[in-house]
Amino acid sequence: MSNIINSLYNIRLLDDLARKETAIHKIHPLMKLLTTVVYLTVVVSFGKYEIGSLLPLFFYPVMVFALAELPVKPILLRVLFVAPLIIGIGILNPLFDHQVFYLGGITISRGWVAFFSIFIKCGLTVTAAMLLIATTGMDGLAAALRMLKIPRLFVLQLLLTYRYISVLMEEVARILRAYSLRAPEQKGVHRNAWGSLAGQLILRTFDRAQRVYEAMCLRGFTGEYNTGGYERIRVWDLAYLAGWVSFFAITKIYNIPMFIGSLLTGVVK
Amino acid sequence: MSHHKLEVKDLHYIYPDGHKAVNDMSFCIYHGESVGIIGANGAGKSTLLMLLMGVLFPCQGEVIVGDVHVTKKTLPFIRQRLGMVFQDPDDQLFMTTVYDDVAFGPRNYKLEEKEVENRVLQALDIVGILHLKDRAPFKLSGGEKRAAAIASVLSMQPDILVMDEPTAGLDPKSRRRVMGLLKSFEHTRIITSHDLDMVFDLCERTIVIKDGEIAAQGLTSEILVNAELMDSCGLEVPLALQNCPVCGIRKTVKQPRKKGNDETP
Repeated sequence: MSNIINSLYNIRLLDDLARKETAIHKIHPLMKLLTTVVYLTVVVSFGKYEIGSLLPLFFYPVMVFALAELPVKPILLRVLFVAPLIIGIGILNPLFDHQVFYLGGITISRGWVAFFSIFIKCGLTVTAAMLLIATTGMDGLAAALRMLKIPRLFVLQLLLTYRYISVLMEEVARILRAYSLRAPEQKGVHRNAWGSLAGQLILRTFDRAQRVYEAMCLRGFTGEYNTGGYERIRVWDLAYLAGWVSFFAITKIYNIPMFIGSLLTGVVK
Repeated sequence: MSHHKLEVKDLHYIYPDGHKAVNDMSFCIYHGESVGIIGANGAGKSTLLMLLMGVLFPCQGEVIVGDVHVTKKTLPFIRQRLGMVFQDPDDQLFMTTVYDDVAFGPRNYKLEEKEVENRVLQALDIVGILHLKDRAPFKLSGGEKRAAAIASVLSMQPDILVMDEPTAGLDPKSRRRVMGLLKSFEHTRIITSHDLDMVFDLCERTIVIKDGEIAAQGLTSEILVNAELMDSCGLEVPLALQNCPVCGIRKTVKQPRKKGNDETP
């Protein structure tokens, strides 16, 4: 039970990481957002059998991890949370796609290749989204979205949902702690208590959310979530965007692994 | 200075389930006064604060801040003049850093970012947690959270501070620190609490509430020593005024009369 509670509290890790002051953190949120959007577009634009062409795109998360000094394990663990979903989406490929191709004398099912392609794409896109939040923070991201003229209602929804997750999680943690202290022999929550616990959770989070909302209203909140003035975009920020977009474009246009491979084999010959 | 005055006239509030939480309350709080509102659990203190702040609207009667009636239209003005510190600072602190939390109010009033910064730093300095400005609120201790919650209200530069149980859940040192802080303010202060020693220390005037009605109001030095009144309202004389538990020396407190023993002094 304590593991569940710990992992619930760890949800704030991304907020903590976003407060670092590395070169990547200092880049304008809008530029990081645009870079991520272009990255996601390029990743999903590859065909389902093009695993080789996807490989250079690993360079982006690796660089961000290194430059932003982010811990790899906790972020990748969060990416793994979506693994069941990815498997659910991709697992039908090996079942229905029985065509095969040969690679250096080995027979490989195209279905499995498609499955791994989906797995890699999902992994890369979710990692990129995590990295964006871990280097920008939700408030910075909201400011960037507002700069892109996204309606304030949507941005507000995003921010409040994000805030509400931690409110919900705290209540879950409290309820689970109270339950486990009076049910020491049990693993998890007995199914007889599921209904009342879920009901309690909803009522408590409603109450808590209401109090948080009242506190916001008492300090002048009228629907606009103000996170301070927008930072100015500097030349370095533009260069960051331009550099990555160029790299993604080259990755999309040229098959870099093939190019490197042929170069090496050419040298070997 | 009439804009610092807070007047409550014939206030009534009934919850949708029919519970009469506030019944015919009237009082006036003047500029610079420090007033304690005390009462047992469920007496109606929190409902009264919600009515003062315009979170709830009365079924009958009115709340007037200065010359302005609390209505939906006047809420932005009212909430700039009245700052409320919640009982649980976790309800009040929801941004990712202490700085952003304290800046939340001023930013909502569309102040220049430079002015916001000045106000935030000043508020944090007053409560003594300037060094914590970049910390996440949920990582602070209870006393620090309370100080941050107070700073988040001070940054709006209100005339009247409304505080719901400001010393609840604090260790003795933190409680003493918060009390010292509240004592140093020149604002008009309205404090609800069960910490009667704190009310005795900080408030010149006290309003006692019982079952949604005002049971008594007057000088704190007279109200809180009236053991009979305190007892009838589900309260006790502050510990500082009770008999010494070690030597048993009696303080000059009017003791409640025991049932069937009316001749007890």
